[in-house]
Amino acid sequence: MSAENGISHALELAQYAVDAALRAGASQAEATLSIGDRFSCEARGSAVTKLEQSRSRSLHVRVFVGERKAVLSTTDLELPGIQAAAAAAVVQARCVADDPYAGLPEPCAGDAAGEGELDLFSQDVAAREAQDKLDEALELERRIRERDRRILNSNGSHVGDTVATTALVNSRGFSGAYRSTRAHRSSSPVAVEGSTKRTGSYGTAARKLADLEDAGAVASKAVERAVSLFGARKPRTMRVPVIFERDVAASVLSDLFAALSASNAAVGNSWLAGRTGDRIGSDLVTIVDDGTLPGHLGSSPFDGEGVATRRTTVFERGTLRSLLYDTYYARKLGAVSTGNAGGGAIAPNNFYLEAGNGSLDDLIARTPKAILVLETIGFATEHASGTYSRGARGFAIEGGAIAYPVEEFTIASTFGEMLAGIDAVAGDLRFDGSVVSPSFRVSEMTISGE
Amino acid sequence: MLDPQIVERVLCTALARGGEYADVFCERKSVTSFRLQSGLIHESALTKTQGAGIRVIAGESAGYAYSDDLSLEALERAARVASLIARSHSAGARSVRLESSAVQPFYDDARSQHEPAETYVALLERADVAARAQSPLVAAVNAHVADELQEVWIGTSDGRWLHDRRPLVSLGVQVVTSHEKQRAYGFVGDGGRTSGAYYQTRTPESIAIEAARIAVTNLDAVPAPAGEMEMIVGSGGGGVLLHEAVGHGLESDFNRQGVSLYSGRVGERVASELVTIYDDGNLDGERGSVSIDDEGTPGQHKVLVERGVLQGYMQDYLNGKLMGVRSTGSGRRQSFRSLPQPRMCNTYMPSGSSTFEEILASTKRGIYAKSFAGGQVEISRGDFVFMVAEGYLVENGRITAPVKNATIVGNGPDVMTKVVAVGNDSCLANRHYTCGKGGQYVPVGVGMPTVKISSITVGGSHVG
Repeated sequence: MSAENGISHALELAQYAVDAALRAGASQAEATLSIGDRFSCEARGSAVTKLEQSRSRSLHVRVFVGERKAVLSTTDLELPGIQAAAAAAVVQARCVADDPYAGLPEPCAGDAAGEGELDLFSQDVAAREAQDKLDEALELERRIRERDRRILNSNGSHVGDTVATTALVNSRGFSGAYRSTRAHRSSSPVAVEGSTKRTGSYGTAARKLADLEDAGAVASKAVERAVSLFGARKPRTMRVPVIFERDVAASVLSDLFAALSASNAAVGNSWLAGRTGDRIGSDLVTIVDDGTLPGHLGSSPFDGEGVATRRTTVFERGTLRSLLYDTYYARKLGAVSTGNAGGGAIAPNNFYLEAGNGSLDDLIARTPKAILVLETIGFATEHASGTYSRGARGFAIEGGAIAYPVEEFTIASTFGEMLAGIDAVAGDLRFDGSVVSPSFRVSEMTISGE
Repeated sequence: MLDPQIVERVLCTALARGGEYADVFCERKSVTSFRLQSGLIHESALTKTQGAGIRVIAGESAGYAYSDDLSLEALERAARVASLIARSHSAGARSVRLESSAVQPFYDDARSQHEPAETYVALLERADVAARAQSPLVAAVNAHVADELQEVWIGTSDGRWLHDRRPLVSLGVQVVTSHEKQRAYGFVGDGGRTSGAYYQTRTPESIAIEAARIAVTNLDAVPAPAGEMEMIVGSGGGGVLLHEAVGHGLESDFNRQGVSLYSGRVGERVASELVTIYDDGNLDGERGSVSIDDEGTPGQHKVLVERGVLQGYMQDYLNGKLMGVRSTGSGRRQSFRSLPQPRMCNTYMPSGSSTFEEILASTKRGIYAKSFAGGQVEISRGDFVFMVAEGYLVENGRITAPVKNATIVGNGPDVMTKVVAVGNDSCLANRHYTCGKGGQYVPVGVGMPTVKISSITVGGSHVG
């Protein structure tokens, strides 16, 4: 089946689901059909240990009966199956309370950007031979072992990709579809020193092969993460500056995103609720959500309910300018959708902290004393209070240089204090995910160790 | 749903390039759920999933492909993709004959249909009313109910053909309290491999009241102290500690591959001699129970650690075969889209001899972690982190104040040597735990008596 045929077939099925819901008594309906061709393989040592290849298709339908809503997902794409499921969803919607904010987005004037303009699809990913990917996974395994004698094992090297088609149709006349690709390569070496084992992992992802970090760089960064913390000690309990390396910095931004999500703000589950216009971060804090950046993983012509994506400045030099909305929460809070509707939740497009200058090494050199955090474990549950607490690993920085590795400690603060305390931002931003960040330094946090 | 004769043909195709073993995992699942927010039923959802995954094993390697189209043509196509893993092995035509085997269910299998929607809606509304009636400090109640039925059909190239029906219900209530500028939370969820009738005895009111009590208590919480101190782990919910600190390290894939710190240590002392740990797939109605696992092996009671000595690992088919032992019924997967992995079922520590009062009285300065909100572990070293959901300061043998925002960090094997008392009150936690591994989520059970750990690092914001 050609790509164009694939897209028109997807649009036809989505249209069928919308029509089926309307016939069953829905007053409005929206259907999204997602088709994904996934390939992944894993190598360990000199063997390919896993090979997975499949096509998955799923249909996600929202039905509205007046002001009542139900959602349906199904993998049964036979027409009678779609019809029965749509009817069941309409029955379920009748049990839901009336909600004046429920409904499809207003039809919007003008067209969303096309697949081509956004550069979301790469033929080199779609056409890549399986053997090429198996060879690359084996090459990663070879490279991590060549890199350091202590790499005696691994949790596998992985290479894979997804070629996806997304089609969305609603009963207010929206109809759109696009194809996209995503390729990744990663490795997780295990280093052994005496009786101690340590795992490191590093991966890269992009829409096209040319944007991936090469296999050599992935292998060496993964090995560096596995071996660099040997001999780590527990730091003293104290208050010091903390430098977040860019991957960990991105995880801080992910937590911040949850507090910026209007769905949390609307129910009081966000420390940022009602604070638009307040000065919260330092001058260095400019945070943007942008779904229109060509070629990036978080870009798409329209969001999960067919609203065109756009650029939203969330924090501008420390001042909170906007939360992030889908149509429902925008209506509820008297705002306009920022094009952040995801699969049933508010989701990031390309959500990032604007880069500063220089490398992470430059930032370390400008820091007399700090803890550099390379990895955190644990996750926040309370966005309302805005408290931050994580288990962490990394290095003690003394006199502008790495002094010794540290682990088995926590770092704690509040998001408000952390944003206000960002006093240096590096220039090492890379768009290898939908939430990304350059490395940054926070002037003071609590370290709990010995 | 699938004709066993079709599965026989698909298995033959899967082995045509010389794989040693193949299986077909066919699944049909439907989930209906409702969510209550601000006193109103806010949303309902219906999910229907079906498909089949085909696996081919050749040596240490596995080829996998799945299809949501269950036609013979689509399944044969998937089987040919999965068979590619065996390209370097010698090919040979195989024939497969499936024999039906009976499955002994460990869950209430009586119902065949979801309850009418009104039944679930009523459960949520009762929970909402009960939570609000608990205290004027209750500011918001969010509640969620889900009822799932998963049916699986498993055919294996060694001739087994099995069918299992797995019900799963859950009801979770989150209560938010507020007073002046303070906000606090309490969450309680319960359910299990049973039907909606479960909530006739475990009432939504009882769940909501417990959640409200925690949320009210947490309003008075003081910031957690930072640094090393003693810890009392609460019975039931404290079992998350066992799950993270020890359980994952005893899953056989990490051990076969030599990446776990427990690799090659069966028969060795790995914990205080007060510590015994079981993993059991056969407990009636528990979330982690499996009549058969996702490879068709019956669920079992496994002794992981006995009196501090490591007894064995949790095995799936492939890792067991490569280690020369049988599967322990631990091969689980999230859905037909995933390869099975060795996973925990219901992991718990049996009772010891101390009373809660003795343990409390012996604690000079520490934290009593009654339940955890979640945790994570790094397998090669056993380092873990937990968030305390309900915790208290203990000073001179007495509980003094609730604490908030406490994070516990430690090292699994290290903590297990620091178990200095085990209570006589072992029980399984409320049934609402889900475990994630390699991107796959499966329901599990955890349990624990009250346990005292002589020293652990608490990460709070209060230094001094």
